[in-house]
Amino acid sequence: MVALKSHNMDDPEDWHKASPYKMKGWEMKFIAILRQVPENEARLKVEGGKVGLNGVTMVLDGMDEWGVEEVIRLKEAHGGEAVVVALGPERSEEAIRTALAMGADRAVHLVSEGYIDPITQAQTLAETVLEEAPTLVFTGGQQADWDSQALGPALAEALGWPSVTWTTKVELEGQTHAKAKHDLDEGQEIVRVSLPAVFTSQQGLNEPRYPTLPGIMKAKKKEIRKIPLSVSSKVEVLEQTIQERSRLNKVIDGTKDPVAAANELVKLLHEEAKVI
Amino acid sequence: MILVVLDHDTTRLRKGALEAVSRARQLAALGAIAGLVVGENTSAVAEEARKYVPTVYTAEVGGYTPERWAAAAYAAAQKSGAQVVVAPSSRQSRTWTARLALKMGAALLEDTLETATDGSKITATRYSFLNRVTEKQAASLPVVFTAKPNTTPVAEPQGDGMIEALTVEQPAAQVEVLERMSEQKKGVSLSEATVVVTGGRGLGSPEAFAGVEALANSLGGAVGATRAVVDAGWRPYGEQVGQTGKTVQPSAYIALAVSGAVQHQAGMNKSKYIVAVNKDAEAPIFKVADYGIVGDVHQVLPAMLEAAKKLKD
Ligand SMILES: Cc1cc2nc3c(=O)[nH]c(=O)nc-3n(C[C@H](O)[C@H](O)[C@H](O)COP(=O)(O)OP(=O)(O)OC[C@H]3O[C@@H](n4cnc5c(N)ncnc54)[C@H](O)[C@@H]3O)c2cc1C
Repeated sequence: MVALKSHNMDDPEDWHKASPYKMKGWEMKFIAILRQVPENEARLKVEGGKVGLNGVTMVLDGMDEWGVEEVIRLKEAHGGEAVVVALGPERSEEAIRTALAMGADRAVHLVSEGYIDPITQAQTLAETVLEEAPTLVFTGGQQADWDSQALGPALAEALGWPSVTWTTKVELEGQTHAKAKHDLDEGQEIVRVSLPAVFTSQQGLNEPRYPTLPGIMKAKKKEIRKIPLSVSSKVEVLEQTIQERSRLNKVIDGTKDPVAAANELVKLLHEEAKVI
Repeated sequence: MILVVLDHDTTRLRKGALEAVSRARQLAALGAIAGLVVGENTSAVAEEARKYVPTVYTAEVGGYTPERWAAAAYAAAQKSGAQVVVAPSSRQSRTWTARLALKMGAALLEDTLETATDGSKITATRYSFLNRVTEKQAASLPVVFTAKPNTTPVAEPQGDGMIEALTVEQPAAQVEVLERMSEQKKGVSLSEATVVVTGGRGLGSPEAFAGVEALANSLGGAVGATRAVVDAGWRPYGEQVGQTGKTVQPSAYIALAVSGAVQHQAGMNKSKYIVAVNKDAEAPIFKVADYGIVGDVHQVLPAMLEAAKKLKD
């Protein structure tokens, strides 16, 4: 656990009293944590045993984008502030600008190069989150580069907060609780959770807006507070390889005689692949 | 010492638990193995568990919450002095193990395919970049890791362990479950099926899934769905394959009227054979397909069903 600062985070009443933003008239604050990852369609290459990202188009992680959209909507509905926080290399600033152009108010960028495991990410981010003292935090359900699902729950643990993973719906109940719907391994659940809390996103949460031209112009003037860090990872990535199975690509034309095509396919699966 | 958290359905151990025991046995250099049965009806499940591990801890903490599971595993790790904790990988375990790793000050290795040790480090392989890259990772002890389903042979029973009940300090409940909509699976489970037949939006209606179900049934397989289909409310979420759904690795993955978006591929690209039926010859799914038919699914699917039935007779 990260050392609790001046106020008691376990007691939402106390925490709201202590929030410095309340003084300035901010009632609520919503944080989205974001990361920059290769674009989905990007062709990945391995150079010297590691995935090389030179020349690869990098974007705001799609799952984080749902979180960014959600905190902007929460702010639009309840007032307050929507803040984005990123832990990542200098280049992540582009993804931060995207979030600011969508409508986030300001950003904190913890600048650190190289791979950091999700537990260390959570510990590092927890300090900034504590300082910001938000109503709630959103992060992506799974990271599109490191395929990790751990950041949300690990961050919640570091803060001593509850977490709700794979969230498809969230509604505030005053300042102290939220009702949320989220996916399980099988099925869904509706929960009431005390705030502050960490939520991870899932498809279905919302439809993210596209940044508008005025939004992009405004984003250029919004504050990005940069904090340079040097963080050492608990996990070392030794080697990466791309092992795409070579596929047979035997495609049959079934537009003229679908029955013959289906018979041939079933025969191939039975006799050649021997899988049915 | 190694602690294995043994997944169960309140009466029996799940297959993943026995795979996790095998993973723990592969790390014999790190000492003896203890098991943890957490949740409800733990003493009955422990009777089965003691056939696999020399010490079984039980933690009767009630229904699942990530906080409870993490607290129970932490208590068992402290009690046994375990430097490594292993659990079968699921969405649920990938939540509570993240909390546990933080409590233990441990490194977390998620959804591993293989694990080994030299006595001071754990090395693991896992997929990354939406299942497209295979990477090797290493971390010094203590380590918490999850084992991907269907990657390890299940353990054979071995001896007669002892059972010890743990009292776990219950964390204050911060999450209250108001309603649970569980999806009862019929037939073969999607994650374990050797044949998966997945329907996409191109099927046009929920009714058209009758054909998908029939084909899955006749091949002894499970039905899968794309996110588009789940979002439309045609199929339950538990059937979704992909980045935000399940990851499957069957011998045959049959994708019917599925475009093959990268996020969908993230859940099925390691299948042994991929089969696609799509009316669009340019659909991305054909790039990763071993076999395919360009055609109308409404004509091809009934004919495939006929042919599959003939095969059985
Ligand atoms: C962050 C993120 C995560 C996501 N996670 C997932 C995930 O986990 N799983 C997932 O599936 N998607 C996921 N998606 C969505 C994904 O990008 C695609 O939108 C989705 O997979 C498309 O589903 P589909 O193939 O059923 O539909 P479509 O893309 O609409 O494809 C339908 C296909 O059917 C074909 N077709 C139409 N009519 C016929 C006919 N009569 N006969 C034969 N073929 C026909 C069409 O040619 C087309 O190729 C995710 C997206 C994002 C941004």
